[in-house]
Amino acid sequence: MSGGTSVGVRLASHFATVEQQKHAAVLGMWAWLLTELLLFAGLFLTALILRLTHPEAVQAAARHLKFWIGAVNTVVLIGSSLTMSGAIQLSRLGWQRGMVRFMLATAALGTLFLALKGYEYYADYHEHMMPFLSDRPYALTDSPPSRLFVNLYYVATGLHGLHLLTGIAILLAMTRQASRPGFLAAHQNRIEIFGLYWHFIDLIWIVAFPTLYVLNR
Amino acid sequence: MFGTSEERRILWRHMREPVLTACALLIMLGVNVALGATLPFPHVWIVELIVAGLMVATILAFSMEVRREPPLVRLFACIGFVWVAILFAMTLVDYLSRR
Repeated sequence: MSGGTSVGVRLASHFATVEQQKHAAVLGMWAWLLTELLLFAGLFLTALILRLTHPEAVQAAARHLKFWIGAVNTVVLIGSSLTMSGAIQLSRLGWQRGMVRFMLATAALGTLFLALKGYEYYADYHEHMMPFLSDRPYALTDSPPSRLFVNLYYVATGLHGLHLLTGIAILLAMTRQASRPGFLAAHQNRIEIFGLYWHFIDLIWIVAFPTLYVLNR
Repeated sequence: MFGTSEERRILWRHMREPVLTACALLIMLGVNVALGATLPFPHVWIVELIVAGLMVATILAFSMEVRREPPLVRLFACIGFVWVAILFAMTLVDYLSRR
């Protein structure tokens, strides 16, 4: 690790300074993240309304969710946020090899999250907790409103999983680029900008876990 | 990976805040999981939502480093959550006040 490589950002022609370019990139990322926040907020609000209007049905459905897998997955995502922060810190230091290893660890933890989520869906399938499947009778047929909550659960967690899958794909592509000589000298801020996205995925799950799994279970 | 003691010292100086942030998040998650598993009192959901809110604030302030950003970025980040707060408040006032 002795001696970091040089760190910097290559100035694009339409910016006056590198600082202006970095601030514009952060602001642009935040503008996009806010649209994502509003998208997920609508889903979480719907979940809360369902809990208010059909408390017993939601409670019955929530008891079928895999509470402990959800909790372990939250630990996994917090761990991935830590490794992503590590990658950002090492990119600032110019420690390229360590940064690449932290990025790979982040992608691995993201993949572990998806694997656990996949197992959870598989268990739900076996427990007949997929009301949208026409050829598989739903377990809580005597509680029609619970279908609304379970369907919402799949939409919210599926959308979050899609964001995570996209994040892993971008992270792996960026790791490939970042392992080449000279990356940090020209594109260090890409790591910082992507880090915002990754932490945001963590933030969304931090809200999704109590909203879907924990409240009044 | 980080050979010399000087490198390890530099690494720890830079990783101290992310590690403490992760520890704080894990402790708060532990509180929420314990409350969710035991349901110690009827209105426990209020505490659970407060803890989740604290976790979100911790991620924003420390992981996403909003507190170190220029004022315009801080304004953007805050406004997004204000919009969400208005959305939740107006909708829940309606549902909670229905007879």
